[in-house]
Amino acid sequence: MRVAQERQRRIRLRSARRGPLRIIAAVVLGLAFTLGAPSPIESQESLGERLPVREVTLENGLRVLLLPRGGAPTVSFVMQFGVGGVHERLGTTGIAHLLEHMLFKGTETIGTRDVAEERALFSQMDEAHDELLRAREAGDVGRSAELEESIGRLEDQARTYVDSNEFDRILTRAGARGLNATTTNEATIYFVELPANRAELFFALEADRMTNPVFREFYSERDVVIEERRMRVETSPPGALFEAHLAAAYSVHPYGVPVVGHMSDLETLSRAEVARYYADYYGPGNAVLAMVGNFEPDEAESWARRYLGPIPRGEEPPPVLSVEPEQRGERRVELEWDAEPLLRIGWHVPSAEHDDAAALGLLTSILTGGRTSRLHRRMVTDDRIATAVFSSVGPGDRYPRLFQLDVTPVSPATTVDLETAIYEEIALLASEGPSEEELGRVLNQVAAGAIRRLESNLGLAIQLANSESLFNDWRETFRSTARLGEVTTEDLRRVVAEYFTRSNRTVATLVRPHQP
Amino acid sequence: MRPATGATLLLVLPFALLASSPALVSAQAVTGRTVIEALEFEPLVFEQPSADRHEVDGIEILLLEDHTLPLVSVYAYFRGGYGLFAREDYAVAMGLPSMLRYGGTTRLEAEVVDETLEYFAIQASFGSAGSSITSTINSLAEHLGSALDLWGDMLTSPRFDEAEIDAWKGQQLESVLRRTDDPARLAFSEFNRLMYGDHPIGWEFESEDFAPDRVTRERFLDVHSRIVCRENLVLGVTGDVSWSEAEPLMRALTDRLAPCATTLPEAPIPDVRRGGGVFVIDRELEQAVIVMAHATDVRLSDDAAFYSATIGNSILGAGGFSSRILARVRTEEGYAYSASSVWTMPRRHEGILGAITRTRPESAIPAIEVILESMAEMKEAPPTEEELSTTVDQIVNGFVFNFGTASQIVSRSMFYLAQDLPDDWLERYLRGVQSVTPASIQRAFLENLNPDEMTILIVGDVDRIGREALAAFGPVSELEVR
Repeated sequence: MRVAQERQRRIRLRSARRGPLRIIAAVVLGLAFTLGAPSPIESQESLGERLPVREVTLENGLRVLLLPRGGAPTVSFVMQFGVGGVHERLGTTGIAHLLEHMLFKGTETIGTRDVAEERALFSQMDEAHDELLRAREAGDVGRSAELEESIGRLEDQARTYVDSNEFDRILTRAGARGLNATTTNEATIYFVELPANRAELFFALEADRMTNPVFREFYSERDVVIEERRMRVETSPPGALFEAHLAAAYSVHPYGVPVVGHMSDLETLSRAEVARYYADYYGPGNAVLAMVGNFEPDEAESWARRYLGPIPRGEEPPPVLSVEPEQRGERRVELEWDAEPLLRIGWHVPSAEHDDAAALGLLTSILTGGRTSRLHRRMVTDDRIATAVFSSVGPGDRYPRLFQLDVTPVSPATTVDLETAIYEEIALLASEGPSEEELGRVLNQVAAGAIRRLESNLGLAIQLANSESLFNDWRETFRSTARLGEVTTEDLRRVVAEYFTRSNRTVATLVRPHQP
Repeated sequence: MRPATGATLLLVLPFALLASSPALVSAQAVTGRTVIEALEFEPLVFEQPSADRHEVDGIEILLLEDHTLPLVSVYAYFRGGYGLFAREDYAVAMGLPSMLRYGGTTRLEAEVVDETLEYFAIQASFGSAGSSITSTINSLAEHLGSALDLWGDMLTSPRFDEAEIDAWKGQQLESVLRRTDDPARLAFSEFNRLMYGDHPIGWEFESEDFAPDRVTRERFLDVHSRIVCRENLVLGVTGDVSWSEAEPLMRALTDRLAPCATTLPEAPIPDVRRGGGVFVIDRELEQAVIVMAHATDVRLSDDAAFYSATIGNSILGAGGFSSRILARVRTEEGYAYSASSVWTMPRRHEGILGAITRTRPESAIPAIEVILESMAEMKEAPPTEEELSTTVDQIVNGFVFNFGTASQIVSRSMFYLAQDLPDDWLERYLRGVQSVTPASIQRAFLENLNPDEMTILIVGDVDRIGREALAAFGPVSELEVR
């Protein structure tokens, strides 16, 4: 992206038709803000949509997005695979996330001194693991302990052939920053930033791990993931409440299943299951590579073709066809924990592709976006019954979601007090809708946000890859922002009235253990 | 970000990774070690942007233009934080940034400030550290003048609205109540208290800090007048603005600042705990949080001891997957998701050397043993040349990432200026880490690592961890949580 292209247009703030009195007061007091013309986000192609992204689709289906920019000679890479929590089945939950970890374990030639010897030991330990699961089911504690010890011994033996973390070390030595990955409900996303002169290294390494991954150190890494779950869920009041809430809200759809996986599933996942999952979902036809930074696009395209082009397309991922039935009646779940209380409420709403998605997105700002938002003002500023209130729409994008509220009460206020205040505000919004002033404020923030989101190379690469992976169009993320500008106060009132009903909500509370 | 208008330095980093002769590669099999090892990299040549230095009425202002997007950020760094005040002023000194943001101004009620900021999509942040208070404002370039006018009001003419003070107090008291809900937060706060005692690093909010006579509008005004004043300030500007546009705005801002009435004292020197021992906070949890450290005295300075300790710490456990502690605790044993070493090297007083991890109760003792073994090995033998070169290569080859954004460059320069570090500290650091040898790292650990003095704090299920077995690491005491 070049300076000249980005400076063609200055964004204008939207002026409310009925300007806020207090803002006028501020102007009178000497803060001479210019109220601009109506927002252009309603009518013009946004800055984001006009980014000079080169799109290349390789013959094997890999979509490559190249966005050269000025600035320091660094390059941000994001490789996104269209697989996540929703593609899992009961019994093997957490497999997408475990696979994310395993992809850092090296290949047939990276991270090993003798892959054949390693593989021979894999067979032995995997057979022992199969027997271990049978012994556990039979309740044979003694045999289970023997087999666990045997697996540990075999993995230690295999480790004598392993050069641990070599994949990471090669990138580290190259000066890489931010090497990491994340798994969501719909995607597994790998990212790293490299000095521009070492950009080719990314392609060589990525081609190797997409072609020849070896799932070494499997059982110890599975233990690492179990510890990650203990950290994020088992010992975290908000993490545990999040999980309990989604499980209550979704009875059928996999959005109700934790991406990190259930503990008992993590303890039984096998190397063979992970390998099969990899074969199903990690083909180039299910992947998007986004590259943003200071590089030559011709050179980058040639690297993509040379290194990633020969990788076989892979299998067509199975579709996700589970449909969450309509909720008929409020659901409530209570989690007892030795901690101060928390509240989480979710209302079922449509997917990110639905016509109401824009209004629901804007509603998060109207309700909790900043200190002037409705719920913040009511609960944090005026009534002082909460320290914080957040809203979001999730836990994914492609399937019907929840409009979620997370609230932290201030003692002695209870979660009951919070619910009362929330439902009063919801009822008010459902009957009267927000004011033009509120809408104007939020849209001004959307307009400025549309610029701020372009600041970071890595941030842009993440947005481009995600939009292309989820919606088959990197521009969709910018278009969805532009659609926010078309939302009216009546749209907002209507979606609140339609979705924010008692029977459509699931309420989760975290409370101290009840006395017997 | 385009090249800056400030002075530039042509920097060549001629370190080729895995350089070897080029190989002919088949179009069918462009993968694997042979291909990766055959890669050659050109030296990275780039213009190293730096901020222009200006001065307005004796106040230093750093500017780095960046016309990529129509946004401007202005940064204020005030020398003076809660660490320079007595415990009686702890709550007010800590709360000052919050009250500058939320407490209104003499001209505008708090609510009007909120509405104005949000209506014009201005981002204003305020933060505090032990010896500084910082604030940043980010605005669309076309509203810069008005945004700075408001920000100047917030910084220099705070209202400290009584109702807002009261609301803030209520939120902090709630936070005190919730401190024990998160085992990591509980562990870190108790560990700091153990190691640093009644020193600002060891302080944690307690309900007494919010006693009616300690948190008053008058106290806020007093602390404000001692921190937010001319001599304490360094300013920075980045974004879509030139100096000719920025100068009058900066002048208008600095004109509103009063001279500092008093000079703040130096931060007190902590008396870091000696003697070691094991402290437990017994909680029925599925995972134990383990924090351990002892006092050391390597200071942040341009000398071999500092660079050797820094690189040594990275090899020991602060360097991610390339470091020993994470490789052993996580990769080899599967005990933990996270594990790292910690070696703090302040400029003016002692620091601590230790490690942090969290693991299931049954693995707590083996994990502590592995960490202590990894530490002891740093004394017994120098690290390998490969370990050293991996760590140094990352810093040298990744040096360009220090210049990723204008904000990064200006914030760093402001910090150097405010902390009296030399302008070329980053270049000195780059040279310094390259002078480290395996022998100098071993020496750093021989001189500074004392496992017998290790204070170990564990928040977790002591019965499952093994109360008797913990005694192997030192006398075990139950820690009373306040």
